Amino acid sequence: MRKLVSIILLGALAFGLVQAVKKIPFGVQKTKVGKYYVERGIEDTGSSNIVTSVVLNYRGFDTLGEVTILFAGAIALGAVLFTGKKRIEREVYPASPILSTACKFLFPLILLFGAYIFIHGHLTPGGGFQGGAIAASALLLIFLGCPGRKTDGRKTRLMESLGGIIFVLAGLLGLAYGGFFLFNFLPKGTVNNLFSAGIIPVLYIVIGFKVASEIAGILDNLFGETE
Amino acid sequence: MVVSPVLLIAVPLLLAFIAPLCGKAAKYIPPAGALFNLILSVILIPTVLKSPMIVSIGGFPPPFCINLFVGPLGIFFAALISLAGFLISIYALSYIRERAVGKYHTLYLLLLTGATGVVLTGDIFNLFVFYEILCISSYALTAHNAHWHRHGTEAAVKYLIQGSVGSAFILLAIGMLYGFFGTLNMADLAKHIARAHSSVLFIPLTFFIAGFGVEAAIFPLNAWLPDAHSVSPAPISAIFSGIAIEIGVYAIMRVVFTLFGAPLSVMSVLLIVGLLTLLVGEICAFRQNNIKRMSAYSSIGQIGLIVFAFGLATKSGITAGLFQITSHALSKILLFLTIGYMIYSIRMKNYPDKYVTEIEINSLNGLGKKMPLTSLGFAIAAFSLIGFPPFIGFSSKLLIVKAALLKGGIYAVLMGIALIATVIEGAYFLKVVQGIYFRKGEVEGIKENNVFILVPFFILAALIIFAGIYPGILTKILNSSSGELLNRIGYIGRLPG
Repeated sequence: MRKLVSIILLGALAFGLVQAVKKIPFGVQKTKVGKYYVERGIEDTGSSNIVTSVVLNYRGFDTLGEVTILFAGAIALGAVLFTGKKRIEREVYPASPILSTACKFLFPLILLFGAYIFIHGHLTPGGGFQGGAIAASALLLIFLGCPGRKTDGRKTRLMESLGGIIFVLAGLLGLAYGGFFLFNFLPKGTVNNLFSAGIIPVLYIVIGFKVASEIAGILDNLFGETE
Repeated sequence: MVVSPVLLIAVPLLLAFIAPLCGKAAKYIPPAGALFNLILSVILIPTVLKSPMIVSIGGFPPPFCINLFVGPLGIFFAALISLAGFLISIYALSYIRERAVGKYHTLYLLLLTGATGVVLTGDIFNLFVFYEILCISSYALTAHNAHWHRHGTEAAVKYLIQGSVGSAFILLAIGMLYGFFGTLNMADLAKHIARAHSSVLFIPLTFFIAGFGVEAAIFPLNAWLPDAHSVSPAPISAIFSGIAIEIGVYAIMRVVFTLFGAPLSVMSVLLIVGLLTLLVGEICAFRQNNIKRMSAYSSIGQIGLIVFAFGLATKSGITAGLFQITSHALSKILLFLTIGYMIYSIRMKNYPDKYVTEIEINSLNGLGKKMPLTSLGFAIAAFSLIGFPPFIGFSSKLLIVKAALLKGGIYAVLMGIALIATVIEGAYFLKVVQGIYFRKGEVEGIKENNVFILVPFFILAALIIFAGIYPGILTKILNSSSGELLNRIGYIGRLPG
């Protein structure tokens, strides 16, 4: 009986969704907002990556919120896993020399790639979230390939907090200089140059560091073991 | 120069990022943030009452950037959130001593920030982002006790699953609206929706109500609430009951009234759902033996009454609903905080090394003599929730009855049913009050001497009595707020360009 009701409800839901989605016109350039971003994005923000200009400039407030959600998630995980007991050192077995050497060789390269992605967020596809996640994957590689190595929890927490603080302070500076929160108050420079688009690259570098340290902190939390 | 309302969100957010760096001093940060918000929102009230403030963020013209819509409704909620948040955080200074204390305070401040963001924003996706901040902090705070007993984890996981499904519905609905109309700005959306055919709108509206309904705990989406509200520590139960579920109601009403123009069929459904929620909540509350579960079910009942009042969809009905939100927030917070202190004292006496957050109603017997101030606070809160004069609950229930009678016909009959639920409410609360004052209990050697805990009781009780005797102080802002919800054309007209 219960299953039958569930199936009927699911069917109704699916039908409704299909009906609604069918009415969305496809491939038509009809959205006023989207058109504005495509036409005015580069001129308004100085960022040649229009996705970035939307994410960090037109809708930067959402990104601040999303950064906060990630921050809340990381803290929440820490709070839920908190046991109040001392951490114990795990017994670790050294990995094979091939594995650990390869990891050490790849580690700086992956970090560099991650940094490249978030530093060039306003020029090429990608940005702070993606670059940060790539950098965090380098740390994960070290966690797995060179057992016994770990990050310093206090430093990752410091980075997380600093990232958030700088983001909000940049917003407040915009409020002070331009009259709008998150106003792009730095000079926009020449499009396609590394030093262009005002606060966008600054914010993306901050987000890159923040995301990387947050994911590293989450991994560290999950790897830990207590008495 | 007028201060920018965006500080109501930016400053608490900044403080929340600073909090993890402060070590033991982190507990002073939430009161500071909430006090700042309280002062700023009170300062802004006169300006906002004159005309709503549109604050664009990033410096582009809306709808191309995100904007805040700080109208009477938004600023009223912002003030209520910061007042409640401030008093509860004072209480939590000495109440929260165990487990991840620093993380607790950071998450608590994030919860307040999320709630403030939801009520101030004028962009539907931005509303969702702040709503998620609110929800994720709530999930984690529910599990604050997880280490001592597994119920905490269980309740948090239940809440997490239901909340996430709800959020998915909201996101789908936002996606559909963006697909149809190509904009996320609420005023712009409302303009497009007013012209659209209703067959397109049915699914997104249903999804919005179902999604926000989980947080608002309307029947039948409220299975998570009794667990989450009863196992979490007292300050968290208080903020959940007093603020979090009201934010769910706010979101539903903002979407239904402002975006979709409150079609009669939807309002009738909401009215019936509200009535059902009220009856189910109160009947379940009546059958509880556990004092915190009883109060949690009573919150469901009260939310039902609030939704019922909004469902009338008249100006007097909405004003009454907002009044009931204020009254429920103040009274339920006082109720949960006093219960929390009673449980804490009994626990410290009987099982100092066990962590107890729930307790049977009988265990409170005889506390009236041992903890006179706390018991008085409990009694005031309970009487206000039942609706006895001269407390604020009386004024709010009277306004709801008046609004229903004004609408007349079938609504007056439905109001009669709602009043039966109030009688049930009276029965179970009076039972507890009677036990506290007139029954003999085994409580010995319990004292109340913590100033940080007693001061919030005093302020809350004073507010409940003051607003009960002079309900007029709230009328002006509540009338403008209900006007804002009903005046959809005015909301759209505020959009520049």
